[in-house]
Amino acid sequence: MSKAYEGSLTTKYIGTPSGLFDQSDDFWVINFPRSFTHQHTYGLLTPFFRGLTEGKLMATKCTNPECSENSTWLPPRADCPDCYARTEWVQVPSEGKIYAYTMLDYAGIGIEMETPYWQIDVQIEGVDTIFKGWLKQGKPVTGMPVKAEFRTEDPTYTILDICWVPK
Amino acid sequence: MIKFGEGNLRVPQWSRRVFMVAGGCTPFRKYFPEYKLEELVMMGYKMMLEDNDLKLSPKEIKDSIQYAAYGEFADHFQDQLLCEAKIHDYLGLDPLWNTGIKTGGATGGAAMLNGCMAIASGYADCALVSGWERMDEVDTRTGNFYISTAACKDFETRMGRIYSSYYAPMANRFAEAYNLSEVTRAKVAVKNRGYAMSNPNAQQPGHHTVEEVLESRMSAYPLRFLECCAMTAGSASALLCNEEMAYKLSDHPVELFMAGGTHTLRVADRRHMDIPLLPNEKPGMYDELLKESGRWPGFESFLAARFAAYLAYRMAGIHDPLEELDLVELHDAFTISDIQTYGDIGLRPYGQEPDYIESGDAYFEGKCPSNLSGGLLGTMHAVGATGVWQACEVFWQLQDRYDYIHGDKKWWDRAGKEKPADWKSLQVKDPKQGLWISHAGVGSHVTCGILRKAW
Ligand SMILES: [Zn+2]
Repeated sequence: MSKAYEGSLTTKYIGTPSGLFDQSDDFWVINFPRSFTHQHTYGLLTPFFRGLTEGKLMATKCTNPECSENSTWLPPRADCPDCYARTEWVQVPSEGKIYAYTMLDYAGIGIEMETPYWQIDVQIEGVDTIFKGWLKQGKPVTGMPVKAEFRTEDPTYTILDICWVPK
Repeated sequence: MIKFGEGNLRVPQWSRRVFMVAGGCTPFRKYFPEYKLEELVMMGYKMMLEDNDLKLSPKEIKDSIQYAAYGEFADHFQDQLLCEAKIHDYLGLDPLWNTGIKTGGATGGAAMLNGCMAIASGYADCALVSGWERMDEVDTRTGNFYISTAACKDFETRMGRIYSSYYAPMANRFAEAYNLSEVTRAKVAVKNRGYAMSNPNAQQPGHHTVEEVLESRMSAYPLRFLECCAMTAGSASALLCNEEMAYKLSDHPVELFMAGGTHTLRVADRRHMDIPLLPNEKPGMYDELLKESGRWPGFESFLAARFAAYLAYRMAGIHDPLEELDLVELHDAFTISDIQTYGDIGLRPYGQEPDYIESGDAYFEGKCPSNLSGGLLGTMHAVGATGVWQACEVFWQLQDRYDYIHGDKKWWDRAGKEKPADWKSLQVKDPKQGLWISHAGVGSHVTCGILRKAW
């Protein structure tokens, strides 16, 4: 252990000079680099993401007999917002109909699909919500039947492990 | 079917009346390297103190403030946590209490609502509301990614990393359900960017044609670049007071009523529910519409905006918004979200939103003009400042001071621009009251504020 605290120090700058991004007589704009990785938990929703890697579409359903809604949620949620009961996992059909769509041409930085691509919102029988995804091939039309494909090989462990194709 | 609890529908009631007496803002720019953030906030704050015909000196007003509500959308953009402390100190307002507010795109509106609560409750007789955003530390695509982290990081962000892609499916859905043409959408962009030509602070003013809008680059189909707002650096401030302080400070104070609503962050999670009816709507009037679309609000409308208007109209005693409001400032971050809101706040019944534009009602000298300021499409979206600045623009209209704020050479000089030779006044004739909407995407938080002339 260093005993530096007991004596005087000579200190070196060990950073990397950022450099000027822009300058004029009146102002300097410096570079201010940022690069981090967060460690993010899927918590109680982990069965959903694990399900994608196994080719299953898992939703949650409130089965509390006291609940006024008993909704089925996709994206899933572990706690029912209507009665606060813990929901239960149910496998839902990996097929549905296109409810809405857009073609994404200009995406934000870090986009993981080649642009342009079709982003679609899928209505699934028995599910109370509408599930956002991407169409791997074809051209969407409102009401068009689609079925899911799962990235079970070399999964990304993200929502991108499910996509849709025309049925 | 989602139902509201009885208690959930209680109309808010101020414990005492709330007034706005002053507003200020900076010029708005894509890139603003001449000033640090706190310097920009000071610029808008000083305009608020010095340029609103107040009856006390800036120092006397400073000595009267008891509270500050600060709006900032994203720490990502500022790259500085606790900006509120830095700015509060820079404005010389320590040790007065302040609160930092964050509700996405509705941050400015939420800060105004927080300021109202401070006045109404008696915590303060004089409160500052200030909002800011500096979106110029990163390039545009990085900025778009930052904003998209306001969508659900697990289920949505990766699907586009840009907010236009979360509104665009609504645009396609709305077009099919309510017969909206892309020409009507483009007219919103032409109108608001055109009005921005009269605003010295505007970031992207322009006399465009419908064709230019529709031929501009696609962001997410069907939304083109000219249908999307800009990223902005800038700030805005407003001064709120109780009744006694308001008349001590101003001969032309404006009374304020305000409420907010919320809905699921993910559009996906919207379940079907009854439509909360506005004062001028009749039970059963939407039965046919719901039979066709199957669900409300679906992807067509915003529960948060409807609920905010439902409360705010009742607070302010407004029965028929189109007849009783003299102007509105809406959150036109995208042409489609602007149009969707017309139904939510009752400028038209649901299903007839496009007619608000096509009828001419939305234009200067129309029945209830919208976004004469240039809006978010033409003038600015420095997110935390936006809902504060919109209130200022309505406020100045009510005070009949549009021409001074937008036409005086001093402001064109401040912005470093030449006042156009064909500058046109957009002052509404003798307005009594106006409304502004502050909206977070995709309709997660919406505030509805009503300003009413009080002299
Ligand atoms: Zn339940």
